[in-house]
Amino acid sequence: MTTAAAPAQRYWEDVSAGDDLPGFDLDLSETKIVEQVSGSQDFYAVHHDRPFARAGGHEDIFVNTGFTRAALARLLTDFAGIDGWVCCLSYQMRRMNRPGDTMRLRGRVTRKYTAEDGSRRVDLDLWAENDREGVTTPATATVMLPARG
Amino acid sequence: MAAVTGVYEIEVVRREWIGRSTPVTAGRYPVEHDPIRRHCQMVEDRNPLFLDPEFAATTRFGGVISPPTLTDYFAGRGAWPPSTEGAAFIRQVPTRGDRLINMNQTLEFLRPARVGERLASQMVIVDVYEKPIRLDPQAVWIVFETRVTNAAGELVSVTRNTLLTHRSPDAVAADA
Repeated sequence: MTTAAAPAQRYWEDVSAGDDLPGFDLDLSETKIVEQVSGSQDFYAVHHDRPFARAGGHEDIFVNTGFTRAALARLLTDFAGIDGWVCCLSYQMRRMNRPGDTMRLRGRVTRKYTAEDGSRRVDLDLWAENDREGVTTPATATVMLPARG
Repeated sequence: MAAVTGVYEIEVVRREWIGRSTPVTAGRYPVEHDPIRRHCQMVEDRNPLFLDPEFAATTRFGGVISPPTLTDYFAGRGAWPPSTEGAAFIRQVPTRGDRLINMNQTLEFLRPARVGERLASQMVIVDVYEKPIRLDPQAVWIVFETRVTNAAGELVSVTRNTLLTHRSPDAVAADA
């Protein structure tokens, strides 16, 4: 089996408010739209059928919620590493990511703290953006990170 | 959506639907490798915790787990064969239009879901209200929660979803 190495483990002590997450880009090709349907199993036509989308008042098809939240979750699981845990994610689908866009996933640490249960946590701002619309999907999240020693 | 023709009374819909829930319904299949692989391919995720059983066996999870945003898929009935449960329940809420867009979601992840586990879900309608949008001055919004549990009845994830339903421009013009 040839999968990538595990994401480098990040420890709570090594993180500070204001740190940027590495982030990644997804090119929304026509093939990516097909992968979106396959990966999300969302067959609602507004996400793959241009005449249907335009008849509904949209300029074009756009990627669905399953795709968008999976991309945000990947940002978080890459950040948390194998020994971290994504506690929660909240996001708003404000604008659309369409075929031809490059969807950029980015994030920043906003707070670092010890929770009442003793777990070491960080809060984050996340977002998806593209050149056409700017920020399309603002989000917030909380991740639990392991402590050294 | 269950688009209503003729008179639409939001207060009647609110009274009849807010608080209504599905029974706890088992997912059609257990947590499986291949849907996880397709989900990861979609967003180019190469994390071996989701994709490599040998690696995942060496972690504290003891095996491959579902990416956090896929647990509700495994707790559902899937797109085929058609089902009257899960997402179909939401589509029974009477609305003005038959177009829909997910707007906001808040997800809590409480436990891992390992390959082979059986998950179940329950959906509840939290709110239904009218709020205009550019495409439809009488758009109907539905807020619902999905609670995913494992075979021990422990909560795995909770998702609160805000769904916008609207009419097409042609339908808005026809209703004017």
